[in-house]
Amino acid sequence: MDLLLQLLATGIVVGSLYALCTLGWGLIYGTTLHFHVAHGAVFTLAAYYAYVGQKLLRLPLAVAALAAIVLAAVSGLLIDRLLYQPLERRGAVRTTLFIASLGLLILVENTLAIVFTPDPLRMDIGLLQRSVRLGPVFLTHLHLLTVALAVAGYAALVLFLRRTRAGQAIRAVASAPEMARTVGIDLRRVHLLTYAIGSAISAPAGILIAMDVGAEPYRGTTFVLLASVGVIMGGIGSIPGAMLGGLFLGLVENLGVWKIPSEWQSALSFGVFLVFILVRPRGFFGRHVASAEL
Amino acid sequence: MRTVWTAIVALILAGAACLAAADSAPIKIGAILPLTGSGASYGVWMKGGAEIAAEEINAAGGIAGRKLEIIFDDHAADASKAVNAMRRLVEVEKVPFTLTSYSAPTLAIQPIGAQHKVVMMNGGGQSDNLANKDYLYNNIPVVSNEVGVMADWLAHDKKLHSAVLITANDEAGRNSAKTFRDKYAAAGGRVVGEEQVTLDGTDFRAQLAKVKAAGGELLYISSYGRNVSIIADQARELGIAIPMAGTSWTLVPETFKAPGAEGMLVTKLPFDPELPFAKKFKAKYGVDAGFFAVQYYSGTKIFARAAEEAMKKNGGRLDGEGVKQAIESVKVFDTISGKLVFQPNHAAIMDIEAGVLRGGKVQVEKVIKAGH
Repeated sequence: MDLLLQLLATGIVVGSLYALCTLGWGLIYGTTLHFHVAHGAVFTLAAYYAYVGQKLLRLPLAVAALAAIVLAAVSGLLIDRLLYQPLERRGAVRTTLFIASLGLLILVENTLAIVFTPDPLRMDIGLLQRSVRLGPVFLTHLHLLTVALAVAGYAALVLFLRRTRAGQAIRAVASAPEMARTVGIDLRRVHLLTYAIGSAISAPAGILIAMDVGAEPYRGTTFVLLASVGVIMGGIGSIPGAMLGGLFLGLVENLGVWKIPSEWQSALSFGVFLVFILVRPRGFFGRHVASAEL
Repeated sequence: MRTVWTAIVALILAGAACLAAADSAPIKIGAILPLTGSGASYGVWMKGGAEIAAEEINAAGGIAGRKLEIIFDDHAADASKAVNAMRRLVEVEKVPFTLTSYSAPTLAIQPIGAQHKVVMMNGGGQSDNLANKDYLYNNIPVVSNEVGVMADWLAHDKKLHSAVLITANDEAGRNSAKTFRDKYAAAGGRVVGEEQVTLDGTDFRAQLAKVKAAGGELLYISSYGRNVSIIADQARELGIAIPMAGTSWTLVPETFKAPGAEGMLVTKLPFDPELPFAKKFKAKYGVDAGFFAVQYYSGTKIFARAAEEAMKKNGGRLDGEGVKQAIESVKVFDTISGKLVFQPNHAAIMDIEAGVLRGGKVQVEKVIKAGH
């Protein structure tokens, strides 16, 4: 029983990291229909921005983390501005964008590996490293912060999309881009905003995991893959779906090893996904998967 | 006619120049090491040790007057990278000898070395499967010796009779775990749980939660490199309070620094930090030397000694076959850590020390003499 509770707690923590990634990727995919795998690069860059801020520029941890989030948002925005928009202007199809995105992801990962070595770079997180005991469950302060930030990130995103004009513009573009254009919404500006916000939402996941186990160059690929799985499971275009999809993946990965040997851990989420997509192709809340094109 | 003669003379001169060049050309050997990845800390030691040995050999006039040059390659714990490096060393550089490291990479290159008659000297990998292999010599004991001592010490001296295992999912990790199971059972202990981890992973909490739930009085870490410090720290974070244990390969700088590894029960192979070599290493690379630095220093020196012997015997010609015969005939090599004797299984035997990791140092409690 203790084991189950511990796995449940770890699952929620890991799920929160996935959820942050899924929310950002889902917002971007739902709005732009770009299969933005370079989101993994933004996620990874955020970790290295924070690392450079704290360890090389000697900034306080919180300042380094905040600066990293801002830089990640700018990075996401620049990817759209300098890569996707020029390609779209030349009439590139979505597959071309996807390949360009994949190329960028690989380029960024390899560059980081060359500059910073492929080894994980540890940060100093002081008291956040401390373990706390909640009954039979052990977590660190950082883990509690992770869950809190995922909830806060979700709430902030929902409020932003519902309550602000910019948020409403994003929702309008997501649900009916042509209609949005006819009522005078500038699609390109909305896309840029979406990239900035989507990147800023996912950046904390990259930073938090770097704070926990170190910044690594190739982690983004796994995360963006999981994010896309989470979005499809949650239902494309649904923000609550993305949140749930991310959490669900973290829980499956951790609760799954309760009775199954742990080397199956990473195969589990994809196995469950395959079953899920066959049984419930709409995801938890979303549009039909078959209607979502790459 | 005259032009023909000139051409012939020129050819003879060129040929002689070539021969002379061959005689004084540097002797190239390989070194396939974990320079990046989870075992990069071993790589710093291994490369540094070999470099210092080569410098000393060259400063003393080289091997039979020829300079020694080491070509370093990175396997990053990946057997396929090791194979690529070995192919390059064998086919392009035509080396007679290479230093090698890690169990899976070494087992992967061994058939290539045996086929092309290139001697491989492993000073780091410890899988039992590395013994009794053609052209492969291990100037390190295979793991069963050390794990045997560990299992006895834990069961008899430390009175710890049940264990859970965290095992690296590779040749070295699995072999060490298997040997531990056998030897620990023979010593009266019982393994009550085991989980596998990847060597390059960074989050082992799910596996640790499982072994925690399995119970046991002891956590045996059958993994190595950076992994060990992460496992130790995350185990403590999850409230795993039982003692942890590991063999000499767990002793890398990361482990010494990890708060979670404090009090870890370890076996180690002899290393004297007061050796002049250790001082030289620290001065040159700015990091403390360790056992594996000495291993690759010694491996390089063993090659120099064997190569000299081989060249003496074969009229100055140097090839892998000659080096192999020289190793077999010399058999006992003087090293900075004492006499090294290659056993019939192509592995060395050494004293094995058992002790507790405290404050970044191992406090030795027991020494088991080589071969006992």
